[in-house]
Amino acid sequence: MKRLVAFLLILPAVLFAQETITIRKGDTTSVALKTLGGAEGAAATKVLQNDLDLSGWFSITPPERATYLIGGSASGGSLEGQVTDPRGGVVLRKTYSGGLRAAAHKFADDIVATVTGQKGIANTKIAFVSTRTGRKEIYTADYDGANLKQITSDGSISVAPALSPDGSKLAYTGYQSGYADIYFVDLASGARNRIVKFPGTNSGASFSPDGGRIACSLSKDGNPELYVMGANGGGARRLTKTKGVESSPTWSPDGSQIIYSSDDRGGPQLYKISAGGGSGEPISTGYAYCTEPSWSPDGKKLAFTARSGGFSIAVKDLRSGATNSLASGEDPVFGANSRHVIFSSGSSLVLLDTQNGRQIPVVTGLGKVSEPTWSR
Amino acid sequence: MKKLLTLGLAIFVIAAFDSCKKKEGDQFAGVDGDYVSGTPLPDRIDGANFFGGNVVRGQFSPVYFGYDSITVSDSELMKLEQVASAVKSSRKTLIIAGFTDDRGTEEYNRGLGEKRAQAVRDALISMGLSGGNIQTVSFGEEMPADPGSGDAAYAMNRRAEFGVVK
Repeated sequence: MKRLVAFLLILPAVLFAQETITIRKGDTTSVALKTLGGAEGAAATKVLQNDLDLSGWFSITPPERATYLIGGSASGGSLEGQVTDPRGGVVLRKTYSGGLRAAAHKFADDIVATVTGQKGIANTKIAFVSTRTGRKEIYTADYDGANLKQITSDGSISVAPALSPDGSKLAYTGYQSGYADIYFVDLASGARNRIVKFPGTNSGASFSPDGGRIACSLSKDGNPELYVMGANGGGARRLTKTKGVESSPTWSPDGSQIIYSSDDRGGPQLYKISAGGGSGEPISTGYAYCTEPSWSPDGKKLAFTARSGGFSIAVKDLRSGATNSLASGEDPVFGANSRHVIFSSGSSLVLLDTQNGRQIPVVTGLGKVSEPTWSR
Repeated sequence: MKKLLTLGLAIFVIAAFDSCKKKEGDQFAGVDGDYVSGTPLPDRIDGANFFGGNVVRGQFSPVYFGYDSITVSDSELMKLEQVASAVKSSRKTLIIAGFTDDRGTEEYNRGLGEKRAQAVRDALISMGLSGGNIQTVSFGEEMPADPGSGDAAYAMNRRAEFGVVK
């Protein structure tokens, strides 16, 4: 009898073992979304609904079961949004402008902030590399894949894009000169400058959280090492000094530390160093090959590419030390909410919710896509 | 007068060199500010593009590497003797381009390709070539010699190639 009870207790676990993702009811807030009024209401509702869904914070339910009711109207590129509780109390009421999609994204982020207290990811930009033209060029898009723009038409090799946290500037590595140089693009004006062009290979720029500095990899001194310089490319200071290859710097939220990949002791491993220099302190991950780290904006997590057979997206909790492999793919980058990452998987960029494991492709159909970067 | 000019020029050159050196030293965050490894690269030659018309490629056999390795093996070192003697007599500038196979992440592979190019450069310097005539560039996993996949293609792609600036 005891055995039978034990079996019955285990049975559900066995039955549900195949289900990889379990979303507990308590994780989400139920909201009802009434189709927005106005000429652009239907289109804006679509964008908003997708944002609320992708945020991972909400389940969309009929009004009678909802904790909050969302409504409003949209026309002429602006949106009047409103969130109320079931008794009609106004929780949020605001007007947004900047075009239908941008307005809907801003409203979605405000709903997330109002209900959860967290930062939203809807009003953000991504940049990435695509082989659509037959050459590697840099593209930007909204985080949901809309508003695709080809930024470079170099006809050379344009790779390793990095958006400034506010999304206004882009740094990338280009080979037009025959060497690997770092270019800066002002996305509003389109102005472009080749700003880091030391002898050897200059690559892998990463903006500091305030956008005022960049860290990157330079080989001018006879070995690929990390350097920090002003966002105008001036005043390069060397950070690392090893016989190995240092690459892919990522900044701490306060800009005082940098995590990077180095193969100084065999396979590439992750290290942490002061942004002012010093010596790198190893970060244990349990993987023999770890590259392209991304530090979450809240400073608590680290996403990176790990090799164990194939390549996978691993996330390390920097407080508990636990590391989990969440998906197969490469090049993860954390979003503003420290919850979602976007990574590359062959011909798609995938939005991964690290809290519930859900994966949604956001960019597809552009050839091979790689090296995503995400504004915050 | 001529002598005075020469002397003046010499002093100027030394002073310029000295200040240049100092500037370089100031860039380092480290305490001692020396080079732990490698010999600094010379300035670029404007317009010298490894895959462009002003660089002769294919004159020397590429040097091949093992997976995720930067070691120039003994058999590959023999190829370098030929490069060293040819470049020594021609006194031309050499560009070494490093490449990887397409496994692994792109930015790490750019670093790995550069390290391969620099490992070959270091070996040539130890054979008596001046580092001042040898530049490097990494293409990482771009521009594969064999666009296929599989071990045979990967082995062809993990390489350092030589280009001689015309």
